[in-house]
Amino acid sequence: MDPVLVADDVEKSYGDDAVALDGVSLSVDAGEVFALVGPNGAGKTTLVRCLTGTTDPDAGTVRLLGEPPREARKQRVGLLPQAFAPPDRLAARELVRYYAGLYDDARDPDAVLDEVGLDPEEGTWYGDLSGGQRRRACVAAALVNDPDVLFLDEPTTGVDPAGRRALWSLFADLAAAGTTILLTTHDMAEAARLADRVALLAGGRVAATGTPEHLVAEYAGDARLVVDTDADPEIAGFDGERTDEGLVFHGVDPAEVGDVAAALEDAGVDFGALSWREPGLEDAYMALAGDAERGEVTRR
Amino acid sequence: MSGSLARVRAEATGAMRTFLRRRTAVFFTFFFPVVLIVIFAGLVRTQGAGGGAGLFSEPTGYYLPAYLATVVLFTPLSRVGSEVARHREDNRFEKLATTPLTRAEWLAAHALVNVVLIVAASVLLVVALLLTGANFELSPWLAFFVPISSVLFCGVGAMLGSLAEGQDGAIAASNGIALPLLFLSETFVQPALFPEWFRPLLDFSPLVYFSRGVRAATFPEATDTAGSAGVVATNAGVTLVLAVVAFAVGAALIPWTE
Repeated sequence: MDPVLVADDVEKSYGDDAVALDGVSLSVDAGEVFALVGPNGAGKTTLVRCLTGTTDPDAGTVRLLGEPPREARKQRVGLLPQAFAPPDRLAARELVRYYAGLYDDARDPDAVLDEVGLDPEEGTWYGDLSGGQRRRACVAAALVNDPDVLFLDEPTTGVDPAGRRALWSLFADLAAAGTTILLTTHDMAEAARLADRVALLAGGRVAATGTPEHLVAEYAGDARLVVDTDADPEIAGFDGERTDEGLVFHGVDPAEVGDVAAALEDAGVDFGALSWREPGLEDAYMALAGDAERGEVTRR
Repeated sequence: MSGSLARVRAEATGAMRTFLRRRTAVFFTFFFPVVLIVIFAGLVRTQGAGGGAGLFSEPTGYYLPAYLATVVLFTPLSRVGSEVARHREDNRFEKLATTPLTRAEWLAAHALVNVVLIVAASVLLVVALLLTGANFELSPWLAFFVPISSVLFCGVGAMLGSLAEGQDGAIAASNGIALPLLFLSETFVQPALFPEWFRPLLDFSPLVYFSRGVRAATFPEATDTAGSAGVVATNAGVTLVLAVVAFAVGAALIPWTE
């Protein structure tokens, strides 16, 4: 089956100096949830714009549903742009009806509002809704044409934890129903929870692509035990590392935490909290984004 | 309803609702022309003594195009200009570009909203003028000139909004263009008051054809030529062509995509 989204060696610059995309290549298959993560200015939104046809790449090719993006059937595409602010003097139901009216075939706006957890009878204007409710109304506007491909550019920014979880659940249901989703986010928990695959963009390049598990295994490093102490790093046979967090021991198995604590006590080390955690996507992100900042990005 | 008409209706309905809920904007859209009538037709009393060459030396009916121009010119320039800028700042065009709505449909919808508002304000203005005892003909040509000129300036407003940086820039640009146009288009100031070398330049104002056409239709005694009907038709034709061109250019410039 042909990929739903393709970017092949895409380049895009703004002016002479600002390189937004520098040879980005990726493809997204039907029904896949693909997350673009990366620091601010990494090129995530520019790539979304290239793929939706709202900007043209300087070089390379993009395909949406097998077509150049501007020729793709708009009925099949949904977009929630970054920092999107629809008319503020419309109630959520009026807003979704407005967007529904732009399509030849649209879903029942009330049903869509219900799906995103907003009361269709609520007459509060968009401008008077809470941040989370606003984002839900915007998501409803992106879903009203029942798209096969959904672009979500930072969909949960400004949404409280409960609202974020509700939206994640909605996105997961859409993915389960076969909707292809391209998501950009700064929230690694969001990417890890929702995405089948993740691409880390840094400095306009894809630094790494893979499943969240692959990226964690490849780039996130070992499990970490952090000890809140000022003591010397080399204690009782454990190779520790001094960081801003405290003394960090890498590769410590959970079963060994007690041994470390005992060794610290035997050595007379005065310490506060001990915290152990598994490596996560955020660690992979930090490692790769750090490489990018140091100019060590290679395409992987 | 065909797809295009349905989309224009959806966009226009949303835009009209949004506008009507901005009470300040609604108030001043209708207050502005009324206050002009009160000042010039009511207080200054533009019933001239006749034969003078000063400002407001003509009968009130002569200035009907000027009063109408305040809404036909200012409302679409500032509203469409700032609306385009607002849509761009809020990434609404980015969203709309992924829907079946086209630039031309978007501008048609907003032109429709402006025409409705401007026709309503014009009716209010004409009634207010009649109440002050102004003498002019209620020509059916008004039903042509007012909407078509509104579309013309919606197109110009779309150009300004597309080229200006942000809403503040769009509003400043629309005011900076509308004020000189208002006074350099044979509206409040008769051509005889301008230096002779300057008078041909008046033809470059798109508002001047509205002004000449409406005056010839509603106040024929001010028209020098033998047949005011010919003057009306000629200026109606020029206004229509300018409206089509301004609409097309305005729609093409809307920053739908980067």
